[in-house]
Amino acid sequence: MKVLVKGNAGPRFLNSVGKFRVSIGEKCFHCGLCVELCPARVFERKEGFNRVFVTSPARCLGPRCQQGSFFCQKKCPVEAIEIETDPQWKTLGDFRWTPDLILTTWQQAETGEIPQDGLEYRVGNSGGGFDNFDFLIKNSSSPSDQEIDKIDTSISLNRRREGKKISVPVPWYGAGMSFGSISLPVMLARAMAAEAWSTFTSTGEGGYPEELIPHGPHIITQIATGLFGVSEETIKRAPIIEFKYAQGAKPGLGGHLLGDKNTPQVAIMREAVCGTSLFSPFPFHSVYSVEDHKKHIDWVKIMNPESLISVKVSTPSDVDMVAVGSYYAGANIIHLDGGYGGTGAAPEIAKKNIAMPIEYAITKVHRFLLEEGVRDEIVLIASGGIRTAYDIAKSIALGADGVVIGTAELVALGCVRCGNCESGRGCPRGIATTDSELEKQISPEWGAHRISNLYSAWQKQLKILLCQLGLKNIEELRGRTDLLRRINE
Amino acid sequence: MNKSEIIRLIESRKNIIPPRREFKKVEAEGGCGVVGLACSEKIQGRQIMPALVQMHNRGNSKGGGLAAFGLDAAQLGVDQKTLEEDYLLQVAYLDPSSRREVEDDFIFSPLTVRHALQLPTLKDFRSVNGLEIRPPEVWRYFCRVKERSLERFIEGNSLQSLKPNKAEDEFIYQNSYRLNKKFYTSLGEKRAFVLSHGRDMIILKIVGYAEQAIEYYQLAELKAHIWIGHQRYPTKGKVWHPGGAHPFVGMDEALVHNGDFANYYSMAEYLKQRNIYPLFLTDTEVSVLLFDLLNRVYEYPLEYIIEALAPTAERDFELLPEEKKKVYRAIQASHIHSSPDGPWFFLIGRTNVSRRSYELLGITDTSMLRPQVFALQENGVAIALVASEKQAIDGVLRSLHEEDSRFLPYADLYWNARGGSHTDGGAFIFSVKDNHLTVTDKFGRVVSAEKEKDCPSVQIDAGEGSERCFSEKIQEYTQTIDRRWIIPTRERVCVRSSAEKCLYQLFHSLPERHEPVRLFCRIDWESKGKLSLPEIRQEVLVINCEKFPSEGSDSISRFMVKAIEIGWRNLITYNWRGQRFCGCGLGPESCGVRIDVYGSPGDYLASGLDGAEIFVHESAQDQVAQIMKRGKLVVYGDVGQTFMYGAKGGEAYVLGNAAGRPLINAVGSPRVVINGTCLDYLAESFMAGNPLEGGGFVILNGIRFNEKGEIVESETPYPGGNLFSLASGGAIYIRDPFLKVERCQLNGGRFGKTTEKDWDLILPYLEENERLFNIPVRRLLTVNNKVLLFHEVYRKIEAVELKVLSKKMAGY
Repeated sequence: MKVLVKGNAGPRFLNSVGKFRVSIGEKCFHCGLCVELCPARVFERKEGFNRVFVTSPARCLGPRCQQGSFFCQKKCPVEAIEIETDPQWKTLGDFRWTPDLILTTWQQAETGEIPQDGLEYRVGNSGGGFDNFDFLIKNSSSPSDQEIDKIDTSISLNRRREGKKISVPVPWYGAGMSFGSISLPVMLARAMAAEAWSTFTSTGEGGYPEELIPHGPHIITQIATGLFGVSEETIKRAPIIEFKYAQGAKPGLGGHLLGDKNTPQVAIMREAVCGTSLFSPFPFHSVYSVEDHKKHIDWVKIMNPESLISVKVSTPSDVDMVAVGSYYAGANIIHLDGGYGGTGAAPEIAKKNIAMPIEYAITKVHRFLLEEGVRDEIVLIASGGIRTAYDIAKSIALGADGVVIGTAELVALGCVRCGNCESGRGCPRGIATTDSELEKQISPEWGAHRISNLYSAWQKQLKILLCQLGLKNIEELRGRTDLLRRINE
Repeated sequence: MNKSEIIRLIESRKNIIPPRREFKKVEAEGGCGVVGLACSEKIQGRQIMPALVQMHNRGNSKGGGLAAFGLDAAQLGVDQKTLEEDYLLQVAYLDPSSRREVEDDFIFSPLTVRHALQLPTLKDFRSVNGLEIRPPEVWRYFCRVKERSLERFIEGNSLQSLKPNKAEDEFIYQNSYRLNKKFYTSLGEKRAFVLSHGRDMIILKIVGYAEQAIEYYQLAELKAHIWIGHQRYPTKGKVWHPGGAHPFVGMDEALVHNGDFANYYSMAEYLKQRNIYPLFLTDTEVSVLLFDLLNRVYEYPLEYIIEALAPTAERDFELLPEEKKKVYRAIQASHIHSSPDGPWFFLIGRTNVSRRSYELLGITDTSMLRPQVFALQENGVAIALVASEKQAIDGVLRSLHEEDSRFLPYADLYWNARGGSHTDGGAFIFSVKDNHLTVTDKFGRVVSAEKEKDCPSVQIDAGEGSERCFSEKIQEYTQTIDRRWIIPTRERVCVRSSAEKCLYQLFHSLPERHEPVRLFCRIDWESKGKLSLPEIRQEVLVINCEKFPSEGSDSISRFMVKAIEIGWRNLITYNWRGQRFCGCGLGPESCGVRIDVYGSPGDYLASGLDGAEIFVHESAQDQVAQIMKRGKLVVYGDVGQTFMYGAKGGEAYVLGNAAGRPLINAVGSPRVVINGTCLDYLAESFMAGNPLEGGGFVILNGIRFNEKGEIVESETPYPGGNLFSLASGGAIYIRDPFLKVERCQLNGGRFGKTTEKDWDLILPYLEENERLFNIPVRRLLTVNNKVLLFHEVYRKIEAVELKVLSKKMAGY
């Protein structure tokens, strides 16, 4: 298992996007003071040269610097330095994934450390969902490294008496994003990061590329309603098998891969006709009631008696019934996928704002399972738009055991949230595409580092938060809605 | 009744509206297993037990129940007249101390009770294996309404013009409702409720499996013409009383239900507008309340009731005669809000008092989303069965056959109903009158095994001999079972079951250990620990599957996987009793493995097949060959729902029919021959590429065997309305010389030309089909006694570039 050293994963572009744009005017006479002063090393004077250049404006701390004695704008003898908000920053993202959240995710992916430059890295600005509530922290001082080290963030993925005992050191694993919706290098990056962190990532419903086989013990395979790429071979290989009944981003619809993205390699993988749109039906045609679901699970257990079973559902109003039915049918993990999630492809008109918001669904299912007396035999996982370590902590405080991460991993690879995912050549970062030219932008090793760094930063934040809440491990946070408060608008 | 009488009757129910009106569904239906049988002779309760045990994996022991109709007066301790005329009121006392009160209020004061008794039970409920919760104490009252009470009721509600029996029925209905209201649904503990009150029928239900009710209430010897049973799978809560279990009673009918409604509220609203308020708050209760309303209050003929529940739609509606269309339109418009929406399959048993007959109805929803199999055997004694799974039916027949050789272990006919269709209406009715059984569909058309006379006793020489002899004999018996030879219907089942018996005797006689080296080695549940490596490569492992469980690590399918893993290449598996997953788990290294299957295999057979060859000498069930990738599957019979769902390749040959949604979402290159026809949705979302360039295809022959055993064309090769919907690849070659299949049945394909290339492609498969099933290619090309050219017989349906599937979607 390769260890991915923290850091080592700078931006791919010479000119990266930051919040501030820094420029030096003509008055500059290259005294070099700014180069010495700037704590963020925005300026540079190359060895043997006279000129001062602005090489890394993205690192500029902006107005926060004003408090320090090193504020370049003030110190410059000729006031040659201009600092303004970068117009690109204003165009990034949306209310859920704000520009700050995107940039800080990139920073965490680059450094593996918690962002220090004043950008908001914990919440978005949507006015709803996870942005509507926060933790009641009594002791906001920074805990010592010793205290942080003692905190345990691991969770078990199988709490039933039977079956393999699998646990992961952090309370998350990677979401299913299919080959076709994203590229193979991205899948490899996710697989390598999952392996380095002894957690998992999922193939999604597009089949199991051979290149992932070396990482097999960390790859979850998905059985979705279109049954693409599902064979005994792939099922026998996987330690965890995910039944995808529904996807939170478009409940009531099946999977979509529009014709544009059904490239020759995708068509080969799914054994379908290149260029046609591939729709998975919304139900499994063989499962129309809970005893059919049990049969389905029993079927997988015949092929792979050792594997754990995860059932991924969206959040209808009777999601609690679905959850308990799945428990009785033999599932180890109930995976609730909420509506804030992304999708690599969907028709223009997909129903929004139906099904229950994930923050309600988690609590509902958690409490229902408690009443049933089976809560401690099943693992409850939440997903759908989980962006930050704080979203993770909030999900757990609401009642989940852990979460599944999708979009955030892609943002770590440089996704700008432009929303052009459905188009075959629309992804400017070469992530949500299988186009042979575009996908070359991501190297799996670099990508693995980026995701791994993000995981490091998140884990540290969780540990610090747990310290501040007076808890010893992540499991103690589960269901602790008393530690949450609404943010009044 | 005329309109004003109906209105007054409905009005009279205003008096019984409960004070607190619940709106939430309390019990969530999961899904379940149902079974029903109707016999021209009365048969004993224990005959239905094998079927109920068979369906354990469809229930979770949180609720089981049964009903019986056409009982034996002497067994119940009354005379025939009482049995026919009195209401058989049964009350379950969850709290035995409530009985005094219940009887005072609702039994002895309004009713004349001719005979009352407590149902005998086993001394200790725990002696029933697995029963954890004590079933309620049940009392049975044979009664009529007291004259004065009835008069008061009629006076008070202005029902004088009603026929007296109608008023009496309504009185009983309201009396039971009041009892339930007071002792079950009001605030406080649930103390008692009415199990049934119809004539010549009983309902019993417990928190447990249905067969445990038979054991506990000692019904094993109870005889009845009609039995229905139900295993429930509720998903919520700790259940301690069986109030929510099925069956539910209407008036003289009991309903059990497999499925789940999406519009419970809508149906409840509809009923509430007619002063009917559900008390037990489950889907099933509203179904039977609705049935009772349509049947007893509105007096719809059965055909119209079925139409109201499962409307005829789409192309099937168009094909109805004009008169029917008018009436059906009116029914559909009136009942759009009260028609149950969602996957469902109902079994309704009832005593038809006016006709003096007993009936069993099986009705499926229009989309056929729940499994259902019907069966009929006519061999001196006539018995008709219906169940969620074929192996439940076979279990009953086998058990009957062991006691009474007039019953044969397989039915003469097996079929599925086509929901909401113009062909059978998605419903079949078994009717027993004067010890004579008739089976009809929704439109009254009779279904019969077309046997001219009863089965002659057929002897097949069992014989003994050397191993080479064994091989030949196995082949011979197998070919008989596979119907390789033309056998008239009246003899088919007899011959077949005799052959099977001989074959099993042969298998049983095989040695268990292989010393010295032999060609066959037998193993069964008891000796499974002795499984060892094969001595020679061609050695055949013969497995008696009978006692192996259906799922889990000890299951027969895991055992087969183990055998293959240690090197066996040839398996004969026999005596399947409905176990599932046969041939699953073999993995991609299974090329060269051959498995033969004899008996009644269960669902998911050959799913995931990736190299092996499986020969099924019987009909297979649902979810056969899902995601099949490579290898060969041969079925000497029918296949069920979602055959080859998501298949990727391989070859399959089916002698009979497929049910709904065969080859749906299939990709890659599967090559399939279906000799019969299928219900509907064949090859929906087929994505299998161009067949002429290595892609996949289905050959649909649309033939069947007549009563002489000869090959004849079915009425149409494809009766459904959704052929090749949303397909983007692959092709269907359909044998349709009379051009019966119309463009309007294609929901996304188009008729192409069958060229020489196509014929070169499919001929080898038809030739293999001939070798396997004795269906000559020449016969397939013969139409009206003339041999035609291939393109005059076979039509090609191919994918058309659909806008909705193309690269450019609106907006891009």
